[in-house]
Amino acid sequence: MNHRDSLSSFHPTVAFFYFAVVLVLSMFLTHPLCLGISLGSALAYNLVLHGKKAVGKQLFFLFPMASLAILVNAAFSHAGTTVLTYLPSGNVLTLESILYGCAAAAMLSTAILWFSCFHAVMTADKLMYLFGKGIPSLSLALSMTLRFVPRFQEQLHRISDAQRCVNRGTEHGSFLQKTKNAVSMLSVLITWALENAMETADSMKSRGYGLPGRTAFSLYRFDSRDKAVLCWLLAGGFCIFSGWASGSFIWRYYPSIKGAGLTPQAVCAYLFYLFFCLTPTALELSERARWKKLRGVGTSSGQGGDSHGKQL
Amino acid sequence: MWWKTNKWKVLLPAAAVLLLAAAFWLGGSSDPKPTAPAQTGLSSAVPAQTPAPVLKAAPSPAPSPKAPKSTKAPASPTPAASPAPEASFTPEPEEPTPPPIPDNEPDRYLTDPVPEGRPEPVEPEETEISDETHTCTLSISCETILNNREALDPDKAELVPEDGWILRPVTATFYQGESVFNVLQRTCKQQGIHMEFESTVMYHSAYIEGIHNLYQFDCGDLSGWMYSVNGWFPNYGCSRYQLQEGDVICWEYTCDLGADIGKTAE
Repeated sequence: MNHRDSLSSFHPTVAFFYFAVVLVLSMFLTHPLCLGISLGSALAYNLVLHGKKAVGKQLFFLFPMASLAILVNAAFSHAGTTVLTYLPSGNVLTLESILYGCAAAAMLSTAILWFSCFHAVMTADKLMYLFGKGIPSLSLALSMTLRFVPRFQEQLHRISDAQRCVNRGTEHGSFLQKTKNAVSMLSVLITWALENAMETADSMKSRGYGLPGRTAFSLYRFDSRDKAVLCWLLAGGFCIFSGWASGSFIWRYYPSIKGAGLTPQAVCAYLFYLFFCLTPTALELSERARWKKLRGVGTSSGQGGDSHGKQL
Repeated sequence: MWWKTNKWKVLLPAAAVLLLAAAFWLGGSSDPKPTAPAQTGLSSAVPAQTPAPVLKAAPSPAPSPKAPKSTKAPASPTPAASPAPEASFTPEPEEPTPPPIPDNEPDRYLTDPVPEGRPEPVEPEETEISDETHTCTLSISCETILNNREALDPDKAELVPEDGWILRPVTATFYQGESVFNVLQRTCKQQGIHMEFESTVMYHSAYIEGIHNLYQFDCGDLSGWMYSVNGWFPNYGCSRYQLQEGDVICWEYTCDLGADIGKTAE
């Protein structure tokens, strides 16, 4: 997808704050309702960001992984008061261990889905903008690592194309020759990677990267829209965290399943959590709706679809 | 200016030290209680007092000097894989005739010599279980937790019975040749009591991790399950204790490595 979504058009601080809070909550709240909310919202945001096809591909990988997590937990954890049956090893299979496995699988999938959104929204330049001043070497290393795999893929593609031109591709010759060609490609790739890393370091150093007093060019402005959304995120986050502190999200799986009841206060906290998690999806959908409306009514229908995120 | 350039060099280590201190404090390591190696000293596993080398080449007298290439010879030094050839050296595994091992040395499963008049450990795979039935008495108690409630995991509090009995003494039937572990497992299955064990290769026995969802370490660092038969706490695992007619088995939860249930160090 080449167009940017709504959250990407916000100031990096806002987006980063959102992801930090959502990831922390997703990884620490074990209440099944919270897990469900977070998983559903992550799926929805992924659908908005990457489209149906990409989400289907993700689920294709996530489903076996989640099943494996459930199986492993049921096979190796024998605590819990509800004995269902006995495993061949002689130990018990309990309902609690299965449910805990489900919760762990949901949490794992949720974290992966949120990170996939994070990767799409928080691009390397935004991370550099946020952390370039405070921890320059770490953020440079981070952005280089994030680009590592895609760059390697691209470079390998180029090398393989070039080799194919001189009849040294992986589809030429005998099995031994093919292997030799592949190994030489790998050697080229590694040589390139080492040299490239040194060149990057030298070039950053010669530009005075990380020196005190150095400024960086960036196009980010913290405008009133950012302020409004950040205020909502802060307020919503405060409500969720106070609900957490007051015990609305308490849930335990062992030895028997027991959790906080649905008091009005707890329901309030769950609703805030739901709205918080759905914020970027809602922003994006409302902007799409507004764009559609403007195109339908106004005369400015000649504008490209790419700029719709910045029109507000 | 110095502060501006070197700010992070000071702040980061300070933050790291604070974080470590907080983790240390909240993790409970500042607790003066000794974190003894509780697992080795507890119930079905063996108190490993002298960690002697395991591979002692148990049958030290060589089988027969004339036939070094016989099929028995290469199999004998690996304790786990040699039950069958082992039996040929000790024709009567039932009776206490510990032939090849010196008196004051632990055996190949790290068991110290058994006191006079107490049954020797019997390896489960060397015994034949016959159809002959016998009866014994079995009880499971966690009475010691009643006096140590403050150390108990709060999630487990509801599991502790009022009087401490998880299973009042019952008469259990077993077949000749079965071990304490067999009887415990069968009785727990029959009575619907949760029980989790782990097979410990080193001590060649099952290790009872938890009964009725009360696990080792749930009531302090020195807590866990121990068993006694006829008032004696065996120094070997429950899979190696062969039962006799009329034995009285007590499974007891200890909160202090056995000192609170009458087991004295031997």
